Amino acid sequence: MSKPVISVEHLSKYYEISHQKRGVDTFVESATAFGKGLIERIRHPFSPNRAHVDLEEFHALDDVSFEIEPGDRVGIIGRNGAGKSTLLKLLSRITEPTKGRIVMRGRVACLLEVGTGFHPELSGRENIYLNGAILGMKRSEVKAKFDEIVEFSGVEKFLDTPVKRYSSGMYVRLAFAVAAHLEPEILLIDEVLAVGDSEFQKKCIAKMNDISRSEGRTILFISHNTSAIQSLCKTGILLKAGKLAAAGKINDVLDLYQKN
Amino acid sequence: MFLRRAGIEQERMQQNKMADGTEEHILVIEAGRTHSRYLRDLWLYRELFLILAWRDIIVRYKQTVIGITWSILRPLLGMIAFTIVFSKIANLPSDNVPYPLTVYAAMLIWQFFSNTVSIGSESLLNNSNLISKVYFPRLIIPSTSMTVSLTDFLISALVFIPLFFYYRFLPDWRIVFLPFFVFLTILVSLGMTYMISALNVKFRDFRFAIPFALQLGIYVSPVGFISSVVPGKWRLLFSLNPLAGIIDGVRWSLFGTPLYLPSLVMSIVISVLLLAGGYFIFRAMEREFADVI
Repeated sequence: MSKPVISVEHLSKYYEISHQKRGVDTFVESATAFGKGLIERIRHPFSPNRAHVDLEEFHALDDVSFEIEPGDRVGIIGRNGAGKSTLLKLLSRITEPTKGRIVMRGRVACLLEVGTGFHPELSGRENIYLNGAILGMKRSEVKAKFDEIVEFSGVEKFLDTPVKRYSSGMYVRLAFAVAAHLEPEILLIDEVLAVGDSEFQKKCIAKMNDISRSEGRTILFISHNTSAIQSLCKTGILLKAGKLAAAGKINDVLDLYQKN
Repeated sequence: MFLRRAGIEQERMQQNKMADGTEEHILVIEAGRTHSRYLRDLWLYRELFLILAWRDIIVRYKQTVIGITWSILRPLLGMIAFTIVFSKIANLPSDNVPYPLTVYAAMLIWQFFSNTVSIGSESLLNNSNLISKVYFPRLIIPSTSMTVSLTDFLISALVFIPLFFYYRFLPDWRIVFLPFFVFLTILVSLGMTYMISALNVKFRDFRFAIPFALQLGIYVSPVGFISSVVPGKWRLLFSLNPLAGIIDGVRWSLFGTPLYLPSLVMSIVISVLLLAGGYFIFRAMEREFADVI
């Protein structure tokens, strides 16, 4: 048995929610608060910090642990606010965890929302290079796969048109095409299939199946679309209010999710 | 204790060489990150920096009629206005150098600085979609605004060639020091940009303060006049502005006008401090970016 590609140990992410009194931070407010805290500190060096008393902690993700084997296709499910997106943000290093740690073996790329990093003024051709770089591809890699990407997206004709003149469908197809030709060992996907017509959705799922089967890539997939999850994933992880509620075969997890 | 932990962290980040010679990437994500790892990441993401810089340069003059000519026109018009006001109306001296030349040299340095800061301070907000969606060292974003202004600067510097011909003026050997002063300007601009762009994410007050401060800044820097018109007792205070020493230096290297050494030394020290301070403020605030932007 090989080592897990992703192991998550006691992962937590807390956010501080401020209540009424400490509303919007302005520069003056926080400068005075900082000053007050400093004076307080000098006068009573050993008392606990009082400035943070009226802050409440919100546990977006609370003590979550799991492991993922190479080549797994894992669906992450849960209601709105269960912590799915927070988990993905932590895995993709967008935010830092409050506690716990993640060990990943392999290159990670994520597809959090299509068209991230597309610039409306640039042409389709230029955006392929830009988006590739943002997703972590080298220029030479993009160059090597350029024709494939263009063919998959089906926007050959409009390659030199600024993407701001694209229809939203064309936009999504081009964005997915770039991301689908990434070659990371671990691919994180969040809700991408929410847009695009059903034919293109099928094409995407087929492509993702293809990728993970033939090349043993690991995929983490977040979606509310249960049929998409069912056709793509083998295993599932169910999150509930920031905690791990279940993990196992995708059908069992989906059953459990739909029962509640 | 702290040092030991940092050491362990570094060890973990090493890419393990496997038995068959291929490299295995191991990434450990934990709260808190060391500086050495951050700097390494900056190096790993250099290609992203280049492509974002390229994007910003390309996009800057899209859908304008005269395009890149703007980068020449703005300092040139500024020079004409300042020459009229400070030389023709106020009758200020210029160390026997044609007045438009002194103004143009300073105007280029000033606009390089002010463009970097004004584009840079908004840069994180303008790229909020990237910041909340993809990981990369955030320092890349404000840094690209420097490359955009640097391109403008280099293009508008070409205007010196016809100007020198017109005024029959030839710089001497001192011109080899010019890149050094440009380098100092880069340090000052980056330092300010790092600081302000990071603060701007959390405190949007800077959005209003910066354009105003930059508008005033051009008058407390020796752009429309030469530094020697500043009375002696104010000279040191005046030199606290690092651009004062830099602009004097540029004029010295191009026109051979006298150089006031204390001012130059202060500029060098302040530039380095600004860059270091900007970097540390940026790093301290960076962790929160994705959560507050």
